Amino acid sequence: CESRRWRYGGALHAREVGASGARAKVSLSAFALLFSELVQHCQSCVFLVAELQVHLAALGRQVGAHVLDALVASEKGAQRETKVLGALLLVKGAMWKAFGKEANKLEQANDDACTFYIIGRQPLINTYISVPKEDSRFNCAGFTAGIVEAMLTHSGFPAKVTARWHKDTTLMIKFEEAVIA
Amino acid sequence: MAIFSVYVVNKAGGLIYQLDSYAPRAEAEKTFSYPLDLLLKLHDERVLVAFGQRDGIRVGHAVLAINGMDVNGKYTADGKEVLEYLGNPANYPVSIRFGRPRLTSNEKLMLASMFHSLFAIGSQLSPEQGSSGIEMLETDTFKLHCFQTLTGIKFVVLADPRQAGIDSLLRKIYEIYSDFALKNPFYSLEMPIRCELFDQNLKLALEVAEKAGTFGPGS
Repeated sequence: CESRRWRYGGALHAREVGASGARAKVSLSAFALLFSELVQHCQSCVFLVAELQVHLAALGRQVGAHVLDALVASEKGAQRETKVLGALLLVKGAMWKAFGKEANKLEQANDDACTFYIIGRQPLINTYISVPKEDSRFNCAGFTAGIVEAMLTHSGFPAKVTARWHKDTTLMIKFEEAVIA
Repeated sequence: MAIFSVYVVNKAGGLIYQLDSYAPRAEAEKTFSYPLDLLLKLHDERVLVAFGQRDGIRVGHAVLAINGMDVNGKYTADGKEVLEYLGNPANYPVSIRFGRPRLTSNEKLMLASMFHSLFAIGSQLSPEQGSSGIEMLETDTFKLHCFQTLTGIKFVVLADPRQAGIDSLLRKIYEIYSDFALKNPFYSLEMPIRCELFDQNLKLALEVAEKAGTFGPGS
C-alpha cells in the first residue's frame, strides 16, 4: 500500500501545480484505471465490504494530508482557513475542482450543529464504476471521504467523514464538539 | 428496430454479453377444433409445426402458448405434455399461438463459440498474412458485422441490411466496453459483463446509431 499511496499522491499533485505554476493535466483514463486497481487491491486485503470502505477511506486520508498544502497554495489568496465554514468552502470548491467540477451543495443538518452534508455527483470516482447488486451499500466515494477528512483534520478542524448513497453521493461530515463550540 | 442484436465474445470463444433489441416477431394465434389439421412434432425440447402451413402459421414455427398461457418447452404451463394435451379431443376447442421460436441462452452460447471457430478458420484460410478475419456476413434478412480488437475480444452486431454506420457503432461499443467494463473494479476480465453503466450506455449508443444510420454514415 505504501508505494501506491506515493504514486497516487504524486499524480494528484502534478495535476494541481506544474513546474511553472500552470495546471498540468493527467489523463482521465489513467486515473480511472489506477483508481480501479486501488479498489481491487483493497478488495484483496479485506474480507467484508464494510472493511473495504474503511480501507479506501484510510488511503484517501493519506492523499488528503499531502494535497492540502498544494490546494491552498494554488488558491488565490492562499491564506490558512481559520473558520469552519471557510475550511468547508475550501473543500467544496478547490478540492472538487481538482476532480473536475465544482460541487454541488453544502448543507448543515437541522438537528445537529456539528454535522454538515456535501451532496453531489463524484465526477471522476464513480463515473465508470457499476457496483454489483450484492454490494449496493458500498460506495467508492469512501475514498473522497478520506481525502476530505484529512483536509479538515489537518487544517485544525477534527472531523469524521463518511460517504453514503442518498440522491447521488452524500458526504456526511461530523465535526468534534470542540470545533463548533 | 434496425439493429437486432449485439454479442460480445471473449478470447476463448465464450459469450460474455448479449443484447437483443428487435421488435416482436410475427406470431399467429388461432382457435382450433379437433382434429388438428397441422402436424406437430417434438424437436429439441420444443413443439414445432412439421406440416400444414397456412394463414401465417409456417413450418418451423413453435407452439408459444396454449389458451393464453405460455408453454414451457414441451410442457404446458400446468406441466402436461403438449402433444398429449392436443391429442385429447376433450381439451378442444383450444387456442394456440404459433411463432418463430426465440433462441435460448444456451443456444446463443453455442452459436457464439461456433462463430468464434469460423472466424479463426477464416483468418487461417486467408492467402495473405495478418488477415482481419470475418468482418461481415451477409444474408437477405440481416447483416452480421464483426470487429475483433487487438486483445481478441469480438464485438458482433446483427443489423438490417440497409443500416449504415455499423463500423463506427462497433468502434463505439469498443469504447464503451473499455470505459465501463474495464475501468470497473468489480469486473473480472473474460467474465460475463454485468455492469449497469455498460448496459445503459450501450442502449444509448444503439439508439443513436439507429437514428443516424439510415440517412447516411453514422456518428
